[in-house]
Amino acid sequence: MLRVRDLAVGYGQEPVVEGINLEVAAGKFVSLVGPSGSGKTSVLRAVNGLLAPLTGRVELNGSSDSLGFLFQDDALLPWRTARENVALGLRIRKVAKDAALSEADAWLGRLGLAGFGGRFPHELSGGQRKRVAIAQILALKPKLLLMDEPFASLDAIVRMRITQELLNWVEREHLSVLLVTHDLEEALTVSDTVYLLSQGPRARVLNSYNVTIPRPRDIFASRKHADFPALLEQLWNDMSAAMTSPEHEARG
Amino acid sequence: MSAAVKNIGVRRVFSLLMLVLAWEAMSRAGVINPFYAPAPTEVLRVVYSLFSEGTIFSHLEATFFASLVGLAIGLALGILLGFSAALIPWVADVLEPIMLLLNAIPRVILAPLFVIWLGIEIPSKIALAVVLVAVLIFFAVYNGIKDVNQLFVDRVKTLGGGRLVLLREVYIPSVTAWVLGSLKVAVGFAFTGACVGEFVAATRGLGYLLQFAQSTYNAALTMGLIFLIMAFVLILFFCAEAIERRLLRWRYRAPAEKSA
Repeated sequence: MLRVRDLAVGYGQEPVVEGINLEVAAGKFVSLVGPSGSGKTSVLRAVNGLLAPLTGRVELNGSSDSLGFLFQDDALLPWRTARENVALGLRIRKVAKDAALSEADAWLGRLGLAGFGGRFPHELSGGQRKRVAIAQILALKPKLLLMDEPFASLDAIVRMRITQELLNWVEREHLSVLLVTHDLEEALTVSDTVYLLSQGPRARVLNSYNVTIPRPRDIFASRKHADFPALLEQLWNDMSAAMTSPEHEARG
Repeated sequence: MSAAVKNIGVRRVFSLLMLVLAWEAMSRAGVINPFYAPAPTEVLRVVYSLFSEGTIFSHLEATFFASLVGLAIGLALGILLGFSAALIPWVADVLEPIMLLLNAIPRVILAPLFVIWLGIEIPSKIALAVVLVAVLIFFAVYNGIKDVNQLFVDRVKTLGGGRLVLLREVYIPSVTAWVLGSLKVAVGFAFTGACVGEFVAATRGLGYLLQFAQSTYNAALTMGLIFLIMAFVLILFFCAEAIERRLLRWRYRAPAEKSA
């Protein structure tokens, strides 16, 4: 679905990340973890075309219309109601206004927001806004979801609920996902593969980890799976080592 | 309206009433010289006679016409120039220093020049109102576009939107918020432009009447006109606020009950 080859991304000529190779196969959930400043978001922005690579390639099996990007902030337009925000992507894709709005209502209903369509973003809670943002993306029927710490700003309970709901959706629809997160447990709970980035600048992929917990997954049950503690410990140790390596210390 | 807000309102009205009553009492007792500060009832009588004799109406018409036309042209010009400067770099290179200079100086000093160029009738007053408003709105639009939230731009881009969609969905609404935020100030500026223009040279208008009152040392008329101008500006100010609340209802509508 997505193949990234020798990717280097940066602002100016200094690469934030370089030599990035990763792959997201169809229907697979892949996470990218790493310390703060390792350039996880930059990789995602390069995949989505928001940032031009310095070198390397992003190969996507399908058009850019097959991508859906879920931001860390909900990024809803404050002057548009929830249903208008959901309908926005459809309208951009030339769906007639009435059809786009009724499609938006249907998606809001599926995400538990029936009756909230007429509200503006500031009239919704953080969890509701996040659901609207998810509806906005899913309404476009993407094949590959790119998610940049999408639930980081939510409180723990809402975060768990929305993560499980989205995971259910992804598994049911066989969507591919590339998730950026700093939460190692979250990454292992939802992913088939986890890539670990080193400390930036010039961050690289240090290692990848296959997570063989069977699907469909429950985010609580997955944490109790026999493989989970060992994987978490290995991932944690590798990341700690990367952050305390002489190379990292020298960079300050 | 909450009880706290009501209380503040009552306190303000009560304080104002006390001040006016004290002023009236001191004036009647001869503590204040009426030549400098005539009693409020005398000011009220002068204002009443302006309306009852009908002398005020042609002056009001002149000032309102100059203010509102100046406001409309100033808004249109400011928006046009602001958008042009924000979207076309060479326009910004040319306009920015001029606008910065116009913003830095007290723009009412241009009034005599407009009288020389456009005469003492209404066009010179409109011109001054336009300059006052246009510079304000130019910066509102120019900064509004430059400071547009990049997150919204990225959101629309990732949904597949091009330049036109960005303009319609992000830039114009962002700028509208900035312009409407400046509208109340712009109304005051437009009125200032018209009145100062009339003060410099005119045959009618509230500014002209004010200048006449001052030259004849008519303190009651001067005060009456000042209060009248304040009242009209306040009315326009509330109209501007109502427009702002209507168009920016996405910002002002009271938050409803939320749940996760």
